[in-house]
Amino acid sequence: MTQKILFIFCLLCIAISCGEDDNENQGYSPTPVNIAVPAIFSQLLPPPEIPINNPLTQEGVALGRALFYEKKLSADNTLACAGCHKPNQSFSDQRRYSIGIDGIAGFRNSMPIVNIAWNTNNKFNWDGSANSLEEQVLEPVINEIEMHNTWPNVVATLKTDPRYVTAFSNAFGTSTISQELVAKALAQFIRTLVSGNATFDNYLLGQATLTPQEEQGLAVFLDENRGDCFHCHGSPSNPLWTDNDFHNNGLDEDFTDLGLGDITGDPAQFGLFKSPSLRNLAYTAPYMHDGRFQTLDQVIDHYSEGLVFSPTIDPLMKTVAQGGVQLTPQDKAALKAFLLTLSDPSLASNPAYQNPN
Amino acid sequence: MFKKAAFLVLLVLSFMACDKNDDDQAQQNTPVSVGFLHSFYEDEVSVSSNTIQYTNGFGTSLSITRLRYLISQVSFTNQDGIKTLVKDYHLVDLSQDNSLTINDILLPPGAYNLKMRFGFTEATNTSSIYPDLNAASWNVPENLGGGYHYMQLEGRWLDPGDTPDEPYLYAYHTISAVQNPGPENTREDTSIEIDLGEITVTQGATQINVNMRIDQWFENPNLWNLSELNGLLMGNYTAQKMMQENGQNVFSLASNMGD
Repeated sequence: MTQKILFIFCLLCIAISCGEDDNENQGYSPTPVNIAVPAIFSQLLPPPEIPINNPLTQEGVALGRALFYEKKLSADNTLACAGCHKPNQSFSDQRRYSIGIDGIAGFRNSMPIVNIAWNTNNKFNWDGSANSLEEQVLEPVINEIEMHNTWPNVVATLKTDPRYVTAFSNAFGTSTISQELVAKALAQFIRTLVSGNATFDNYLLGQATLTPQEEQGLAVFLDENRGDCFHCHGSPSNPLWTDNDFHNNGLDEDFTDLGLGDITGDPAQFGLFKSPSLRNLAYTAPYMHDGRFQTLDQVIDHYSEGLVFSPTIDPLMKTVAQGGVQLTPQDKAALKAFLLTLSDPSLASNPAYQNPN
Repeated sequence: MFKKAAFLVLLVLSFMACDKNDDDQAQQNTPVSVGFLHSFYEDEVSVSSNTIQYTNGFGTSLSITRLRYLISQVSFTNQDGIKTLVKDYHLVDLSQDNSLTINDILLPPGAYNLKMRFGFTEATNTSSIYPDLNAASWNVPENLGGGYHYMQLEGRWLDPGDTPDEPYLYAYHTISAVQNPGPENTREDTSIEIDLGEITVTQGATQINVNMRIDQWFENPNLWNLSELNGLLMGNYTAQKMMQENGQNVFSLASNMGD
């Protein structure tokens, strides 16, 4: 009991001694903001995961949005995040490999970055190399074949712009710009990139219908003997359309890119890559981690007849011995028609996602 | 400033007023954790791997690349017959350390009967109603009866007659057994009640470990031939019933240690 009273007394003293600092931050009062959760997500998914140390605020999101479109993040002021994550391509890139500021191409296709707030396993990138969104956004800035900058240089550049000094002060209560705060702001904005207004979402809500062919495609998707897509790519119960996990989906017999295994060093994980969401496939070509397939037809053909064995192939590729699930032309066409119902045309035109600079 | 000081003074008074009750409560309840361990015969299975290192009762060598399963209705019943439900459901994933223990259980010290269930009962196996399981893609499509998976046990296996570098794959998935897969299917509850017997909760932290003998899924009473039953098992009613039979003696109490 005495210890508790002493503890509270100390707390009281600390509160008194901190009074002056509180007054210094009187101008810092960011407005909390919530992610616009689509109706079907509210019904089926847990709430979005927001880190306790980086809550969303109007000021933070606005700053993150400005930074997302800010070319000054790159060494020569020519490339912003949005250069490889374009709103009209579900925040991915239609080029197989994005081109960095020095004209050098990367070696993986740009991942779409929507509905990231529901990435519950906290592994980001095709290879799971980042353990948080705040960590993920730091790397492209200093990647030699992407923005090829340094964080001290980015911070120094932003400090020369009075708009950013004010924006950081409004968002975080400090005019001291740092890479950590840049990352926090970018992460806040990216978490607001939500896609949940596809035809199929509205179908689930009873506000749209599917054609007979689209319904047939859904049946193929959910049939363990045909598409068997649901184990890795969600279902009408999981509108993320991904399991956010890592798999070897039978692309290669030998690996030139080890994916998750390159990060963990575990041979059991060589050639494993994150399952991308099937949302917005209409806008996210080319497909696979290396963008090898230009069309959705090629993707379907791969799972139907193109699977190859490798030591780490996922056991869910049950028909690899036959080369795939052997879909009929009718099933393929139906599956494609269904998959396209997962595309959300309102994403690209959402005014909250446009370039504010 | 005055407001802060007044608030903290009130906090002090509140602590003083509540102290007696807090102490009583602390004596009444003690933390309990339920951990999940896994073995293949005598070998501990702690990580998933594509290394073919186990041999089942049929004589087939295999690996375990993934193991996820659902436990529900975890309950402790004291000697007066009062049952405390401590967890509605819990998804165990061998690759996620934080899924291997159920924490946040508080119970008065004493003797209890510990029960849980493998999978969901028919009454609780309703499609789409568990958001975290939806996000984990744990669902079963409606054409296969709907609801949720009970277990996903996956890996590779070797046919002794084949070259060792070209193993086959298996996906031992358990769900409610379904007849007539498709729009007119009928579903049968194949969840398994697990009665772990008596355990003792002592003052202080109590750790209870439950072991899954993975080898039993392939052996008792149905010797499992992976060359015949390796995939596409969800819609196979007979296979699901065999899995249910083999699952009856898979779980047991591993230890009950009071720290």
